Amino acid sequence: MRVLLNINRLLILSAVLLMAAPVLLYAEDSGVAITHVESATQDNDYVMSADIDYQLSEKTVEALNNGVSLFWTYQFKVQEQRDYLWNKTVLDKSVRYGVQYHALLKLYRVSNISNGTDENFSTLEGALDKLSTLRDYPLIEKDKIADGNQYIASMQITFERDALPLPLRPVAYMNPQWYLSSDWYTWPLKK
Amino acid sequence: MAVKKIKLPTGLLAAALFGLILLSLQLMSTAAQESSELNAMSKWLLVINGLGLVVLMILVGANIYSLARQLKKRAAGSRLTTRMVALFVLLSLAPAAIVFYFSMQFLHQGIDSWFNVEIDRAMEDSLELSQSALDQRMRWHLRQTQQLAENIDTSSEVMAGLEMDNLLIMSGASEVTLFSKTGRIIASSSSTPGDILPSLPDENVWLQLRRSGDYVALAPISEKELMIRAITEIKGQDPLYLQTLYPVPVRVADLADSVEFAFIRYQEMNYLRNSLKMSFSLALSLVLLMSLLAAIWVAFISIRHIVAPVKALVKGTKAVASGLYDQQLPVLAHDDLGFLVESFNDMTRRIGQAQNEIRQAGVEVENQRAYLETILGNLTAGVISFDANNTIRTTNQAAYRIFHIHVSRFVGQTLLELAGNNKELAEPLKTIHRLLMNADDIWQQRIAFLGPNGRRELLCRGTPLFSQEGDRVGAIVVFDDVTDLMQAQKSAAWGEVARRLAHEIKNPLTPIQLSAERLQVKLGDKLSASDAEILQKSTRTIVKQVEAMKEMVDDFAQYAKPAKKQANDLDLAALVQEVLALYPVKPGVKFKTEFETGSLMIKGDPVSIRQVVHNLLINALEAIEDNGVIEIKMNRVQKNYTDFIECAFYDNGPGINEEHIEKIFEPYVTTKTKGTGLGLAIVKKIIEEHGGSIWVDTRRKIGAGFIIQLPAV
Repeated sequence: MRVLLNINRLLILSAVLLMAAPVLLYAEDSGVAITHVESATQDNDYVMSADIDYQLSEKTVEALNNGVSLFWTYQFKVQEQRDYLWNKTVLDKSVRYGVQYHALLKLYRVSNISNGTDENFSTLEGALDKLSTLRDYPLIEKDKIADGNQYIASMQITFERDALPLPLRPVAYMNPQWYLSSDWYTWPLKK
Repeated sequence: MAVKKIKLPTGLLAAALFGLILLSLQLMSTAAQESSELNAMSKWLLVINGLGLVVLMILVGANIYSLARQLKKRAAGSRLTTRMVALFVLLSLAPAAIVFYFSMQFLHQGIDSWFNVEIDRAMEDSLELSQSALDQRMRWHLRQTQQLAENIDTSSEVMAGLEMDNLLIMSGASEVTLFSKTGRIIASSSSTPGDILPSLPDENVWLQLRRSGDYVALAPISEKELMIRAITEIKGQDPLYLQTLYPVPVRVADLADSVEFAFIRYQEMNYLRNSLKMSFSLALSLVLLMSLLAAIWVAFISIRHIVAPVKALVKGTKAVASGLYDQQLPVLAHDDLGFLVESFNDMTRRIGQAQNEIRQAGVEVENQRAYLETILGNLTAGVISFDANNTIRTTNQAAYRIFHIHVSRFVGQTLLELAGNNKELAEPLKTIHRLLMNADDIWQQRIAFLGPNGRRELLCRGTPLFSQEGDRVGAIVVFDDVTDLMQAQKSAAWGEVARRLAHEIKNPLTPIQLSAERLQVKLGDKLSASDAEILQKSTRTIVKQVEAMKEMVDDFAQYAKPAKKQANDLDLAALVQEVLALYPVKPGVKFKTEFETGSLMIKGDPVSIRQVVHNLLINALEAIEDNGVIEIKMNRVQKNYTDFIECAFYDNGPGINEEHIEKIFEPYVTTKTKGTGLGLAIVKKIIEEHGGSIWVDTRRKIGAGFIIQLPAV
């Protein structure tokens, strides 16, 4: 019967957590936020730099140190603003990053899944530092931006809960400690 | 009914829902395996299952709510449904709960059994072994590098650059690089010609180099390749750094990778143990809850179908109990309950038929009764029926006509009570009652009484009623007013007597008289004076008596013959005045007349009517013996919707004895010393021949009073 009780407690707890999630989300220190974005022109491209604040929760760090890989998707969008019609999406691309702990080498590996490059860091801070600084990232070619039009660029970092191991997913959906996505950050794209 | 209409969709819906739920549960269990392609869909499967759960909960909740409402309303079949649902839930819940409990136990124990301390330690040890093996190799390569650094000639950068290739061959490294403190590459040599730019140390490496002068670390080059990177300082005025990259043998790297992979997997599994338990428990709970809810829902649906005929039967029975017999229930199934419903329908049909027949019979009986009542009501004879206690049950109109009492108002009372309320009729009613009480067989009796219209004579016939068992259940009394009949019979008898008298007596009288006169004439002169005187006396007596007898016979003849010779319109008041005028005024006699103004006309024979008045006046005068008051009152009355002229003669003489009243109108009934006794008999005869009636006013206590009623014109 203890098991039943436990299950009940879990169910109740999860229900309560589910309802209280938005409150707890703000109550927690953990989360990911885009703090600063800059864009400039460089050669034929618009390049951008971004500062991202990664605050991993206790549970996330514990999972990472126990061999669970964490994945984030950096999503970029550029939309042309139109007065009479809906906004036209000029660009929609994403980059996937993964962080993994190597027990043998005691290293944190940051992988850019999109282009298949890896970087190793002996500390988690180093790895997160790599993730949180985006420098001179080519956003879009210049010729795709027409003169005289208004463009809005936006960026979001999404934590991939579906990439977590299956048993962890229900918890990840219910526990705000696993809410590691940022909001959309938008800024005007200037010529 | 609505049940039939939604039957098909509900069944299909249920089947579809169950199919979906099963599919989704199956998919979820497949998705739980890491390798499955459905893995990515697991979130949506969970959501779908959750939605299914919610749908089922709503369905069951709605059913429970409606059942609760029906229970509250005490609707037919609701208690049976509740009991069956409770039983069903209990039956399905108990095994499900047991299976669930043990499944949970096995699950938790099973998961826990994957992990134990020995495996933990073995895993860590193997990792440590790999690490120490790599460490040893690293240290060895560092020492090798340090030895290389000692032998290097750093006098000029050109020389050093030339020496790089030598070092590469000597050391067996895959890359040798010499760089300055600022990170500038002085010389480099690589075994793979493709690599042009050697990798430079990052800040962390620099930090360590400055601190200890040496650096060695494993660097993963790619997924499968490992390199050992060793950097050592070449001491001098301007220190330089020598970096060597040694490849780790593929076999070692593979082994290390394998150990690491296993360790990581194990650690991950260990870490996920609780989450795993929770997700399995969640899935299991979901499955249990869903199947339980589905079972309850199906139970509701099937029980509703089972109970529907029972419900209909309960409703039908209630309706039949309240008198609605036209209940036909739909036969939903051809099972035992269907048979019951069919039997019920058959029963109600038969009850309905019987009811109809009873109703028709009732109508027929009612018609018969009404018919009988009509006959009874229109009978001239009065009929009163009595029950076993001799109280009045029914009566007819003729009873009122005869008694002038609304007998129907005394239903449920005895004749004695009726007699108590009607003093005039007390005697005859008591007589009938007595006869009723005593008679065990049919009886017949004449009963006379004095009604408001004079003396009446009734012919009563009583019949006691017996049930088939022989018990006395009541009686019927039929009575006829035979007064007129009796009178007619008497009159006829007297008329016959009169005619005979006239014939048999009057005829010999004339010879008697003539013979006596002849004796007188013939013998008068031949006899002595004394004898002649006797003869003359006797002859005179004979003649006188013969005259008297003739007169008497004439009277009879008059009585016997029909009086109404002609019918004229007569003013009764004038006629009475005329007759009064004939009487000489005597000092002691006083006439008082009181005539109503207005028409007092009758139709009749003036001679006869005059005789009536005459006879009555003579009677009155004789009664008062020349000293008294004679009153004559005349007015118009209405009786049974017919107008009558009522004429009353009152005197203040000695009156009529009670015993004489009944027979005063019969011939030869007189209270006087002289007179034939035919006066009143003739009066009555004439009045009756004129369609009127005469009776003695018994209400008057002074003297005698006669009341005549004649039809008015």
